[in-house]
Amino acid sequence: MPAAADGLASPLLSARGVARRYGRRVALAPTTVEIHPGDSLALVGPNGAGKSTLLSILAGALEPSEGSVVALDDGDSPPRLGWMPQKPAEYVRLSPRENLELFARLERLDDAVASAERFLRLLELPDDERLVAQLSAGNQQRLNLAIALLPDPDVLLVDEPTAALDPRQRRRFWEVAAQVLERGGALVFVTQHLEEVEHHATRVLVLRDGGAVFSGTREEYAQTPEADIFA
Amino acid sequence: MTGIRLLLGKDLRVLRRSPALLVALLLYPMLVAVLVGVVVRYANERPRVAFVDLDDLPETLLVGGQEFDVERLIGQVNESVELIRLGPEEASRRLETGEVVAVITVPPGFASDLRGMVETPSLLLRTTRGGISGRVEQQTQALVYNLNRRLQRAYIASNLAYIDLLRRGGELSFLGTDLDVIGLEESERILEELVRQTTDPATLAELERLRDFVEDAQLALGRSDEALLALANPIALESDTEAGRTWLLSAQIQAFALALTLCFVCMLLAAAAIAAERDENVIGRLVRGLVSLLGLVVVKVALAALVAVALGLSVAVLFTGVAELMDVQGTEPWERLPVLLVGLALAGAAFGAFGVLVGALAREARTAVLVAFLVALPLVLLGLVPESAVGAAGWVSSAFPFAHSVDFFEAALYDIDPWGRLGREAAWLVGLGAVFVSAARLGVRRLLA
Repeated sequence: MPAAADGLASPLLSARGVARRYGRRVALAPTTVEIHPGDSLALVGPNGAGKSTLLSILAGALEPSEGSVVALDDGDSPPRLGWMPQKPAEYVRLSPRENLELFARLERLDDAVASAERFLRLLELPDDERLVAQLSAGNQQRLNLAIALLPDPDVLLVDEPTAALDPRQRRRFWEVAAQVLERGGALVFVTQHLEEVEHHATRVLVLRDGGAVFSGTREEYAQTPEADIFA
Repeated sequence: MTGIRLLLGKDLRVLRRSPALLVALLLYPMLVAVLVGVVVRYANERPRVAFVDLDDLPETLLVGGQEFDVERLIGQVNESVELIRLGPEEASRRLETGEVVAVITVPPGFASDLRGMVETPSLLLRTTRGGISGRVEQQTQALVYNLNRRLQRAYIASNLAYIDLLRRGGELSFLGTDLDVIGLEESERILEELVRQTTDPATLAELERLRDFVEDAQLALGRSDEALLALANPIALESDTEAGRTWLLSAQIQAFALALTLCFVCMLLAAAAIAAERDENVIGRLVRGLVSLLGLVVVKVALAALVAVALGLSVAVLFTGVAELMDVQGTEPWERLPVLLVGLALAGAAFGAFGVLVGALAREARTAVLVAFLVALPLVLLGLVPESAVGAAGWVSSAFPFAHSVDFFEAALYDIDPWGRLGREAAWLVGLGAVFVSAARLGVRRLLA
């Protein structure tokens, strides 16, 4: 990954004062965050705090009302982003394979069939005639993750990724996320589980009522009682 | 373009997996088209009109020496309107509630004026303002025209009977007195007999002058029946109801069925398809550089256009095939199918663009389908209202693709020289489609919220 002049790696992704309003309601107050290579950033906060909104803005799925998101520009291709929203984003009248092949082609991957095959096996997804609508919530969530992983993302943005997964699949998810980090990528995940923060986060951003109330390392978070909004 | 093609393929695949929906989408509008066609046909032909008789018309009316059976006469003129005998108050009430579209009143003294043949008696017509009052007035004028024609025939027949009496002679009853009329033919015969018997040259000359006059009068009166009829009807209209297509296969019904099918199918399909992208939560993934919002709108518009071409061709081939099987006379539409294809695509795209706009505003697929249906229905009905009847309806209807689609299909299938009309309606459909695509592009942003 590229490094800045001061020795710190340049951020793969920066959100600069991004905010989102729906009429008078503020879903996210102006927030700034940088995602560096190797970061595993946990977005923590109660329901309606603005975590999913920030993640959607970082992913480019939602336009901010103000501020901007800037991706690393080092002259090469921009970092690839993988986004897994909380609610599965997939075509329920297609099979998992058809979904994966379609999104692989939309991502302009060289071999869409091979990519689909790879993630069907990696995430142990059913490969038969069944449509996504006929799958369990866990399988739908795994397909949701598989689609996010299709472009081999440099930054993986996931919203409560383990919510519908059984323990075995949870472990599988964290293994896959670790692979992204190992190859110099970054992970941003929304979670309500403090044990996931403790085990998998390197940095923590706490949001409440649409605004950031804490930003720091996992260790700083652990030493800041007022940042523990679940207490 | 790759993204648009891929998503279009996905939509067609999803559609293929819902055959029941496809069949319903095809059959329902066609059924509605035929039903509305029947309603329109009969509604146009026979509006219900109240008939108020304040003169207490007798069962039979003697006019110009000829008896008229009043009920039978009314029955004969009922082709243009359905006359319902009512009292004046009931007629007024029904006019206010819209149960009848007009009231024709026979004023007191009508029959005596008619019998007298000195003053022209009047019928009084009352209609409500606006609505289809103009059309009802035309229908009522047609009714009075029919009445006048029948009375005219009676007057002429009566006059011709007198002329015939003058020519051939006979008995005549006038003011209670029986008269024996000698007639011109008998007069000529008597004159010839007198000419033969007379030897006085002066008397002979007078008799011959008189005989010449009788001959001239006979000749002139011999042509008087044609002359009277020609004077009464300078121009006659002859109708041939046997030639041409039956009403069910008429150009209007076919064009209407096509447009109505496309209107419902394309609007509902496009509205549901765009809203489904949000329901399935996929729109967020797509707009992250995979497909633009405009591209997404184009996908749904193209889907509607493709389905329109497929369904429209099926409907057109069905109608044309039935027409062939029934050996119905009329213009041969097979050679116009390529032109029709263009119209189907344009109409489908315009309806689709409007459907995408509705779907984007409704946001949720089930709501979008319901709203699209509720919007499509008045849109179709507006297109049915004749512009000559309600001007405002024509203006509003022009802002939607339905009426233009009907006009395009009529021109494409049956106009002898269709190009001017085709060009105008195609321009309308393209223009409306562009406007709706632009509006839909703005509306689709709502789906991201």
